[in-house]
Amino acid sequence: MKQKIRVALAQISCAQGAKEVNLKRIEESVVKAKKLSSDLVIFPELSLTGYVVRDQIYELAETIPGPSTDIIENLARKTKMHIVFGMPELSEKTQATIYNSAVLTGPNGFIGKYRKMHLPTHSVFEEKRYFRPGYQAAAFSTELGKIGLIICYDIFFPEISRLTRLEGSQLIICISASPGIRRSFFEILTSARAIENTAFLAYVNLVGIEDGLQFWGGSRLIGPQGKVIVKAKYDEEDLVTCEIDYADIRSVETFVPTLKDLRPELFEELRKSAEKL
Amino acid sequence: MELTSSVLDMDLRNVETQITRFIKEYFEKTSSEGVVLGLSGGIDSCTVAALSAKAIGGRRVLGLMLPERETYHEEDIKHAQAIIAKFKLKSQLCDITSILEAFYGAIPVFEISEKVSKGNIKARTRMIYIYYYANKLNLLVCGSSDKSETMMGYFTKWGDVAADIYPIMDLYKTQVRKLAKHAGVPEEIIMKPPSPSLWPGQTAERELGIKYETLDLVLYGLEHFMTVKEIAEQLVLEEEFVNGIKLKWLSAEHKRRMLLTTKLAYRTVGADFRLRRG
Repeated sequence: MKQKIRVALAQISCAQGAKEVNLKRIEESVVKAKKLSSDLVIFPELSLTGYVVRDQIYELAETIPGPSTDIIENLARKTKMHIVFGMPELSEKTQATIYNSAVLTGPNGFIGKYRKMHLPTHSVFEEKRYFRPGYQAAAFSTELGKIGLIICYDIFFPEISRLTRLEGSQLIICISASPGIRRSFFEILTSARAIENTAFLAYVNLVGIEDGLQFWGGSRLIGPQGKVIVKAKYDEEDLVTCEIDYADIRSVETFVPTLKDLRPELFEELRKSAEKL
Repeated sequence: MELTSSVLDMDLRNVETQITRFIKEYFEKTSSEGVVLGLSGGIDSCTVAALSAKAIGGRRVLGLMLPERETYHEEDIKHAQAIIAKFKLKSQLCDITSILEAFYGAIPVFEISEKVSKGNIKARTRMIYIYYYANKLNLLVCGSSDKSETMMGYFTKWGDVAADIYPIMDLYKTQVRKLAKHAGVPEEIIMKPPSPSLWPGQTAERELGIKYETLDLVLYGLEHFMTVKEIAEQLVLEEEFVNGIKLKWLSAEHKRRMLLTTKLAYRTVGADFRLRRG
């Protein structure tokens, strides 16, 4: 396992409902990230289809594996890169049950997927209308270390990041499609999740305008002390990279020992209280 | 929440950037040649014209001045022309009086004394002109409705509100005033009492029965789920008065949400056909 890796944050805009166009954009960014010596390149939530596709989701969703993941897997093999992207995942057992998923592939093929657990259905969001929530946090052992996946609104719920960290994640990846009005929340929460878990956190957001919603970009890689190591532009397409060294986690874990100080007995209390809310 | 004028403060540079980006995005996405809008010389249309010019260049913005005899004000034309000159817009002046008179004479039940019905003919006639130019020249129609008027239903259904995009519809009137100043709209246009120009002497604030400074705070409170009682107490207004505003807002939903039918089939236009705009 590599101790130091170079991560690329591919902040792209997506063509709504046009998978071929988006696959092309993903490929271009992967090639660019490869030229910048990256080991891992991350794309936003639902980057295969765009975020606002509404009823078109039923014709766009694919199984995993499926035609689009095959294309991304080949790309990962060809470039010897790890790739994280987002797509609507059609359940293999049904014909119209869809998850909002993040997919992790590597040079040796498919590694794993995560199904978004918290589906915003308020304000301009209508995810519960279209998606079934996932039931499991995700942390995967890779050549690039243990990687946890979360999606956008999940970041408002510290337990999801915590679960991936307790499974050993050194790098938590949050792919997102966040409109500008929510920017201040994410700028705080991304750092908070990194600090409280003493882990690296990569946040990759969409840009562009979809049905009037303007996505703010501002993708970033945050160190285990909450410091923003690299940040992409606001509101514009961008691709930034930075190197992270997992050895940095050790010194932070001694200085801010949140994992050592965890009180598991509180979690049962949390469950009881949450059920009574 | 404390309802003071500061709740309506905005980062004007950021708002202008977001709106101009929005106009540019839809101009490009629709492969149109530019935008067209009715340029009355009032604050809303002048602000949208200025922002459109900043987004895609004045030569791609057509401002249509559509005056008519009853509500004609030399000053309005002068203000529209000032915007046309300042932001280097294309323009066209069409006097719509003869068309209106043809309508008045041709409708068998037309009553000259029914000023709202008559006034709405004016707004809808302007819409026909604007959409004619849009069709002929492949232009996107840019609406000038603001949030205060839209929430209050203070517009003509299928008239002034008819457009393809609405760049300032999420800004209250008092916020439009600030943005107008930031965008370079002359002060005399910003300070002029707003009017939809449907009949002589009509002003929006007199008709709505409240100054925009107060109305916008009431609407902001409603937007943020405050109760009528809370809003009335904070702004030192009668509860009944605030409730009247709330009822106007709610009862005008039919003007904002179009295509009502009764559900008969599997998927229904306006109900559960949920498609992206593209």
